[in-house]
Amino acid sequence: MLPKLDYSSPRTLGELLELLDRYKDQAKILAGGTDLIVSLREKLEKPKYIIDIKKIPELGKLEYREGEGLTIGATVTFKNILENPVIKDRYSVLWEAVKTIGDMVLRNRATLVGNICTASPAGDSSPALLVLNARVKIVSKEGSREIPLENFFTGVKKTVLKPWEMVKEVLVPEPPKKSFGRYLKMMRVRSEDLSVVGVAGLGYREGGEIKIRLAFSSVAPTPLRVKEAEEAFAKPGPIEEKIERAVQVAVEKVSPISDVRGSAEYRLNLVRVLTRRLLKQLVEVV
Amino acid sequence: MKYVGKSIQRVDAIEKVTGSAEYAGDIELPGMLYAKLLLSPHAHAKIKSIDFSNALKIPKVVTIAIGEDFSFRVGLYVNDRNILARKKVRWVGEPVAAVVAEDLETAEEALEQIRVEYDPLPPVLDVREALKPDAPLVHEELGEYAHSPAFNPIPGTNIANRFVVKRGDIEEGFKKSNVVLENEFWMPQVSHVPMEPYTCIGQYLIDGSIKIWTSAQSPFAIRYILGYSLGIPLHKISVYVPYIGGGFGGKAGINFEPLVVLLSKKAGYRPVRLELTREEQFMTAPVRQGFYGKIKTGATRDGKLLAEKIFYAFDAGAYADYGVNIGRAAGYSCTGPYYVPNLEAESLTVYTNHPWGTAFRGFGHFEFLWAIERQMEMMAAELGMDPVEFRLKNALLPGLITPTGEKLREDAGRIDQCIRAVAEKIGWGTPPQAVGLNRYRAKGIAALWKAPAMPPNAASSAIIKMNEDGTFLLSVGVTEIGQGTVTALAQIAAEELGVPVEKIRVVPFRHTDLTPYSWQTVASRNLFMEGRAVIRAARDIKEQILEVASQVLRAPKDDLVIEDEKVYVKGRPEWSIHFKDIAAGYVYPNGNTVGGPIIGRGYYVGSRLSYLDPETGQGYPALKWTFGAQAVEIELDIETGEVKVLKLVSAFDVGKAINPQLVEGQIVGGVLQSLSLGMWEEYRYDGNGRMLNPNLTDYKIARAGDIPEEHVVVVIENPQKDGPYGARGVGELSMLSVPPAIANAIFHAVGVNINDLPISFENIWKAISKKR
Repeated sequence: MLPKLDYSSPRTLGELLELLDRYKDQAKILAGGTDLIVSLREKLEKPKYIIDIKKIPELGKLEYREGEGLTIGATVTFKNILENPVIKDRYSVLWEAVKTIGDMVLRNRATLVGNICTASPAGDSSPALLVLNARVKIVSKEGSREIPLENFFTGVKKTVLKPWEMVKEVLVPEPPKKSFGRYLKMMRVRSEDLSVVGVAGLGYREGGEIKIRLAFSSVAPTPLRVKEAEEAFAKPGPIEEKIERAVQVAVEKVSPISDVRGSAEYRLNLVRVLTRRLLKQLVEVV
Repeated sequence: MKYVGKSIQRVDAIEKVTGSAEYAGDIELPGMLYAKLLLSPHAHAKIKSIDFSNALKIPKVVTIAIGEDFSFRVGLYVNDRNILARKKVRWVGEPVAAVVAEDLETAEEALEQIRVEYDPLPPVLDVREALKPDAPLVHEELGEYAHSPAFNPIPGTNIANRFVVKRGDIEEGFKKSNVVLENEFWMPQVSHVPMEPYTCIGQYLIDGSIKIWTSAQSPFAIRYILGYSLGIPLHKISVYVPYIGGGFGGKAGINFEPLVVLLSKKAGYRPVRLELTREEQFMTAPVRQGFYGKIKTGATRDGKLLAEKIFYAFDAGAYADYGVNIGRAAGYSCTGPYYVPNLEAESLTVYTNHPWGTAFRGFGHFEFLWAIERQMEMMAAELGMDPVEFRLKNALLPGLITPTGEKLREDAGRIDQCIRAVAEKIGWGTPPQAVGLNRYRAKGIAALWKAPAMPPNAASSAIIKMNEDGTFLLSVGVTEIGQGTVTALAQIAAEELGVPVEKIRVVPFRHTDLTPYSWQTVASRNLFMEGRAVIRAARDIKEQILEVASQVLRAPKDDLVIEDEKVYVKGRPEWSIHFKDIAAGYVYPNGNTVGGPIIGRGYYVGSRLSYLDPETGQGYPALKWTFGAQAVEIELDIETGEVKVLKLVSAFDVGKAINPQLVEGQIVGGVLQSLSLGMWEEYRYDGNGRMLNPNLTDYKIARAGDIPEEHVVVVIENPQKDGPYGARGVGELSMLSVPPAIANAIFHAVGVNINDLPISFENIWKAISKKR
């Protein structure tokens, strides 16, 4: 059963930040609740206060500005994202990743910001956001700061967030011109599952040369961008060799564990196979 | 026929889709209390002490019970189960204490205040280990347990039952064999994952009588076992069962009912409810047993089976009160649907420190058919024969002898027709095909059979009451767990009585005080047995109707015809009387009345079923054998191990489809469950026997997105003459043999033999990598 909790639902961001400042680590933020409610039931989290942020209109912002990029507010659900034609068109890697998360029931509630704040190594939206160079806007009563998503995660289910801070929105810059992104995810079943391994890739051309960005889920303590593998495309040489080099580096840089979803050995194989497949698809398109 | 053979709508459809159907969890009683269980963290440990004094001080905690409060055991076939753990715990998840409180929050809170001291014992966590002579004993007192005469526990070991089959001369059989092959097979424990977790309410009344409201498949089994164990006569025990949100065998036998009844007594005779969460359902509710098999098969060069030596060991977990019969059932069907002249089989049910096993749809057959159908495929490959041809060559046809020495009846189903049907529809005979660089398409088939696993005296009965307006109430003991049997029974009653099926209502609940007896809702036995009982009840009613009509119409009974809710004199339809005018007695214009309320009854037990010989397993266990076959076409990604089932074909000889749509529904649902169990489902344990995946995040079951796009269902109808309108059961059969069909297809695709379940993507990848 759920423990007894003090629930509040502020109507403005100011009110919310005030509450966070007052309760600090005794409070948890409730957005979609798809992670929070589970950990409350399992008594993994024992907050005294729950602050529901769904009634704060400005957190529902989902906005695209040509040349500037995308703003995804804290209460924007995965369903909102999937229904957005600009995201489907210009941020295909994010759209694809979100499509693999849970089922329709879950996507109706779960939020993208919640997904990054849970900071699960298996989070599917994070690799996509990483290759899109997303930034995180963090606010508190004291003010606000903006950091690259890459610097947001600090460990398994750990982030840089202070107890009195929250993520107001995620900012996704305009992707490079004519870029193409994909998310490949291996699951235990064909329907819905957490990732055994997920690979996000973004391909584009810069001065005629193919550039690639790569990030992974479920292969390290945090979602992981592997820039060393991307560098394989910076050097001259045949494209097949670059792909193999990138695959090689990716396999070296990841550090998967064995758990109930898959062995480290299998995950390493999936990193190899999925990365290669993804890169081949990307270079074919761009 | 007007109703039999027609796809009428389920009688419970409207209630269920509108949410008005009653389930055990809907029941609220005045003064009801809530129970919560404290579960063992150890797989095997002595209980040194339990201190619940602090928990008892919490306001609104009414009582707390521990194992020592209840000094007797319960069980369906073997009396081996404690109400709560006594002296020691036998699996991670065994209930050690129960808190009863005014509300659930308090009960849950109180659990945290109970202190238990354990003295850990070495656990037995593998069925093969459990059989070793120096293995720790799960039940030291096995010799003291009462058990049904059909079973053979071996005190001083972990063997809860040893079942043996011997036919022919096995030495000679192997000597004459040109090809001999031996293989081992394994599968994990799995959960039934019913949509509705266990829920029951018990009340011990001050006059010593008992009331139970429960989501149970078998109200009469609960009543009987409880009466036996507590020494209470059956007329003082009432068991009420509304609709059930899925059972799959897990709600058969007796589960938490004795606990809530005894908690009620301890709590001052107030009703006590226990409702498991999904996590508790995984941890503390019974599971399907694990399985290990070893089969040695001998055949002639031209593919005739000559000899088979079979060893099956079922991982029963901590208790085997029901599990013993699973090993027995697998034993008497052990060869699968093939004729083997020389046979030696041993099927053991073995205690371990895993969660306790119980019945599961398929009842041992899902398990051993995995082994047999893999073995048949490997034999065919060894012989260089086509696997379909090899199976047909050894098909157990009418007139041939089953493992228990039964000559298969002439009106039995036809395994050869099932195999041919799936082979044809899957397009058997085309070679595996590469798709792109790393994918292969291939086909696989597997066959199956099963008879109801039940004691020879298992009985069913039916009551049909005629109402004053000529409508009818049909009352049967089979519970509605989703399978749809009662709809088919209504159709049978309508057909027999000659009334529209809308005029028959199946009573939607079971209440042992009012409902006619049925042994259990299990074994794919109820359409057959309740079906026959309903026919007899309907004929009993017609006899009574004719009795009255004969007086009113002034004609002898054999001159009367029943049709369209009327009775008339042969050749004189104008001399007729309507049912409604006889229903509660016929009233003449002057008030004189003949006849009275009409109640029909019927029962059915199998003819000439027998116990099996303890030395050789010979005898007559089978009410009927249902045969079937499955075929798949898969696409395999050899780099990731991912398998997609592109197409499925299922064929069953059901004798007669009373309601074709419901038959298809059972087949589609069962096949998907089989696929799910074969590919994904598995209790995963850490080294200490603790389940690692007690939730639906990590215990994967098939969902809508996992359903193959194409599923062809072939219904074959070779009627069994003593079945109702020729019907045989199909409920469990549909979930057999999909996993071996998939593994056989993988074998044809890449030459890799997978003999352990689940056939998960990772396990496939591992097998392929190992071969490379």
